[in-house]
Amino acid sequence: MSIIEVSQLTKYYGKARGIVDVSFGVEKGEIFGFIGPNGAGKSTTIRLLLSLIHPTGGKATIFGKDVTTHGPEIRRDIGYLPSEVYYYEGMRVIDLLKYSASFYPGDHTQRMHALAETMELELNRRINDLSYGNKKKVGIVQGLLHSPSVLFLDEPTAGLDPLMQRKFFNLIREENARGVTVFFSSHILSEVQRLCNRVGIIREGRIVEISDIRTLQQNNYKKVRVSTDSTAPVVFDMPGVTHVQAENGTVHFFFKGDINTVLQRLSALRVTDVSIEEPTLEEIFMHYYE
Amino acid sequence: MNIFLRELKANFKSLLIWSGIILLLIVIAVGKFAAFAGDPEMLKMLDTMPPALLDTFGMRAFNLTTLTGFYGVMFIYFGLMGAIAAALWGSDSISKEERDKTVELALVLPVSRSQVVTAKALAALVNCVAFVLITWGISLIAVQSYTPDPAFYKFLALEMQAMLAIEVVFLAVGLLLGCGLKHYKIAGPLMVGIILTTYFMSVATALDKRLDWLKYLTPFKYFDAAGFLQSGRLERGYLLLTAGIAAVCVTAAYQLYRRRDLYI
Repeated sequence: MSIIEVSQLTKYYGKARGIVDVSFGVEKGEIFGFIGPNGAGKSTTIRLLLSLIHPTGGKATIFGKDVTTHGPEIRRDIGYLPSEVYYYEGMRVIDLLKYSASFYPGDHTQRMHALAETMELELNRRINDLSYGNKKKVGIVQGLLHSPSVLFLDEPTAGLDPLMQRKFFNLIREENARGVTVFFSSHILSEVQRLCNRVGIIREGRIVEISDIRTLQQNNYKKVRVSTDSTAPVVFDMPGVTHVQAENGTVHFFFKGDINTVLQRLSALRVTDVSIEEPTLEEIFMHYYE
Repeated sequence: MNIFLRELKANFKSLLIWSGIILLLIVIAVGKFAAFAGDPEMLKMLDTMPPALLDTFGMRAFNLTTLTGFYGVMFIYFGLMGAIAAALWGSDSISKEERDKTVELALVLPVSRSQVVTAKALAALVNCVAFVLITWGISLIAVQSYTPDPAFYKFLALEMQAMLAIEVVFLAVGLLLGCGLKHYKIAGPLMVGIILTTYFMSVATALDKRLDWLKYLTPFKYFDAAGFLQSGRLERGYLLLTAGIAAVCVTAAYQLYRRRDLYI
């Protein structure tokens, strides 16, 4: 059974659309990327899963328990890093982390210090005096200190410098290696590509695709570029060809289907240059958005 | 438990400020009493004033030249202060999390919403009790130079109990607004509106007998200083009404907060 199971989850804010009929499952130990543009419903989905807001329809379970009725129980084993972090006035980093840790059974002092050291976080600083990136680090340590078995990361890298981002990704990979399931929401594809096994793409509140990240790249589309001597552009009018762009005897297009049909067509031509590449996730993504 | 302690700490500054205000009120009022104390001329002067004006400030029921009478007039101010402070503590303790955007942080912890409301309500209640005790303490010290009689102490004790009862009602109403309203910005102004309305209702009942029925709607009238000065006790019926209103508000607050979407 999936560790996170979402079926036909729907949320309307009054008449405004949050998410509609969202269904997916996240397996134990995987890093699931959840990508979509701003306002697509990523944060809404996460907030529903954390029962900060309640669904208009459908249901969601984590560890097999319904999120609306078993919230506190589920949250004991969940870590969450919100996209924007806010803290109580006048607390020091250590105060906040101890406050947060006190809600989870067990002693987390050692892990707290270890995490703070990894993320280069000074524990005695006042949170109010911290920069945005440093506040984010507080959130990272806070989200991880009780060794949760599921992590929700909502655009986690915003505000972190590239060096910190790398440390953060390593940390997430380490956690994942220990068996932690990660739900990673982002609109930055390169980071999803770096980290995730599977992705769900959400657009205007609806899931448009859920697939293995490799499958998404390999099986779906090829980016083909063909250059010929002739000034008249070559016409590729077979099924599966999209996004044709022609300029100065060079044709670019995306192809989905049996690549042999393209090769056969090419063999009849006198080409000067050919390349067949995997599209970047960015390009696939744009395709889903259009 | 941790939420409760954090809440107490967060509310402490507000308690200090309110204590400062009540200290100022008592010091100024008792200073004014020096002019009234044992001066029969003052009574004659008051007699020349229009009765309606005196009623508005509840000054006809009391002999202003005695300390007890003077404190009888003071009661409504204690009640008002207590009401405003308690209402704001009630509504603010819930809505501030949404205002300061810390609600995500607070409710992602493994606690139920009911636990959060309980901790916050108890912390606010502690503030209310402390506020009464502080008012009581300051009063005792402030009137020492007038060597009050035992009757005054008894009356003051009743006044303070009544002040606590009024606080409890408005704390419960405040809690209800904080829990029930998704838009935290409305809670504060609405609360002030409710307090002023109920206060003017209590004034209106004193002015016109035909408006007597309003007294059931305004907690300020449940405990009438002139009444308990004479009877020597708070009316049980109104105490029950107070408890009833508080219970209804608190129950509704829990239900609404459990069900509603947090404003993030």
